[in-house]
Amino acid sequence: MSAPVEDRREEWDGPVPVPTGATVPFWAGALEGDLRYQECDCGHCQLYPRAVCTACGAEDPPFEDSEGVGTIYTYTVCHVPGEPGFGDRTPYVVGAIDLAEGPRLLALLDAEPADLEIGAAVGVTFWRVSEEAAIPVFAPE
Amino acid sequence: MAEPILAGVAESELGETPDRNWLDNAAIATVRALEDAGCSLGDVDGVAVAGGNDYMPALVLSEYLDLDEPSFLEGTEIGGSSFEHFCGHVRDAMTRGEADVVVVAYGSTGKTGPGRDQSLEETHPIDGFVRPTGLFRPPGAYAMAARRHMHEYGTTEEQLAEIAVATREWASMNPKAAQREPITVEDVLESRQIAEPFNLLDCCLVSDGGGAVVLVSEEKARELDVPEIAVAGVASTSTHRQDISEMPDMTTTGAAVTGPKAFDQAGITHDDVDVAEIYDSFTYTALVTLEDLGFCEKGDGGEFVSGGTTAPGGELPMNTQGGGLSYCHPGHFGVFVLIEAARQLRGDYEGDRQVDDAEVAIAHGTGGVLSSSSTVVLRREA
Repeated sequence: MSAPVEDRREEWDGPVPVPTGATVPFWAGALEGDLRYQECDCGHCQLYPRAVCTACGAEDPPFEDSEGVGTIYTYTVCHVPGEPGFGDRTPYVVGAIDLAEGPRLLALLDAEPADLEIGAAVGVTFWRVSEEAAIPVFAPE
Repeated sequence: MAEPILAGVAESELGETPDRNWLDNAAIATVRALEDAGCSLGDVDGVAVAGGNDYMPALVLSEYLDLDEPSFLEGTEIGGSSFEHFCGHVRDAMTRGEADVVVVAYGSTGKTGPGRDQSLEETHPIDGFVRPTGLFRPPGAYAMAARRHMHEYGTTEEQLAEIAVATREWASMNPKAAQREPITVEDVLESRQIAEPFNLLDCCLVSDGGGAVVLVSEEKARELDVPEIAVAGVASTSTHRQDISEMPDMTTTGAAVTGPKAFDQAGITHDDVDVAEIYDSFTYTALVTLEDLGFCEKGDGGEFVSGGTTAPGGELPMNTQGGGLSYCHPGHFGVFVLIEAARQLRGDYEGDRQVDDAEVAIAHGTGGVLSSSSTVVLRREA
């Protein structure tokens, strides 16, 4: 898969991810529209990226490209901004997304709250927010 | 195994303490708790501190109080449940004969102190996955868990609100509580939206203040003229840390593990529990913890708390000082649930505020974003 990457660098004044250590391949992939997760040889899938597999302890489990689709495990509508740069966005939706491959990911949901429900299918797009990173944002399929 | 005796408790001033720092508040609470126990600073041979704005808080408080070579030092930081967690380590130390008088202390200027650093420091790789979502933490994280619970079990916003209403009823009898005006379920539902499904009155206060408890060995307790409140059971665990999405199941907390362990250690059942002091950073925190501790079946928490079960005169008096929702919440509320549990077991209050003949109390702490859980069973010795 390769999802759309919108350039939001001009308008974004929220926190930006800083690629570091095991997360570098994830953020590099995001810039290209790829949602990557780690899939260990033992079969365990995980996000956020870590230097070890949390199931078997193998070091540096390899990355795979996700299909970029999943379901909403839960979500909240934030009426109070939780970070700098979010004041003008309220209300906005943050969800916990269960990717089809297994890992659960916290992400902005680009949707009207009334259109959302737990279990609904969502797909990923990316917002490029810095030279180094694009953040995954999900919307109903 | 020794059972430490909870011999003294105290708070510093609560609410706003603009002329104090966290350490001042922790120190003030400590000396007051020692006085309450009939001890002095010179008796102290152990210090346990969490939540201070310092990475060596036990050393800082020891120095501040000019303690003479304390033999027990503890600064494990597991958030709001740290103080319950400390009780187990204190028990172990007393069993080994390492300490006789240990202060467990907390201080904060969560309300008037400087805000948290807003820059995205890469201290943990997960920060880049959490903070760019803008999630208002901790309320938004707990709200996501609450919504999942509502989805799976049919829990309603009205049922969550019942907890806030009952807690306020207790607060109305506590002169130290920040919010004492009675509220209704409608008041909760109509209060300002914070992070759906939470409204303002589903959320704890933000306060300054400190608290401390003094734990002494059984030998030391016999020298003191204090009611003997024994630490009869302690258990701790964690499920995740910074990101609520790492919580394996947002409808079940670590209390499902720590409750049975602590109850078993103390040799009690739920019917023995006279009063429950349950960490209530949010209404949902208390609801899910009651389920996980086994006071009702999983998923029945909403029904359980309806109709004043936890209010004065209810079947399970809970958060009898007004809780984090109405009394104070300086950040790590865990020390305050221990303080109130002890006061109820000592029979410190009069009238409706005192739970009749309370002999067994639960003090439960929660830390992080539903991340850590620690359960303490306290029992008044005959």
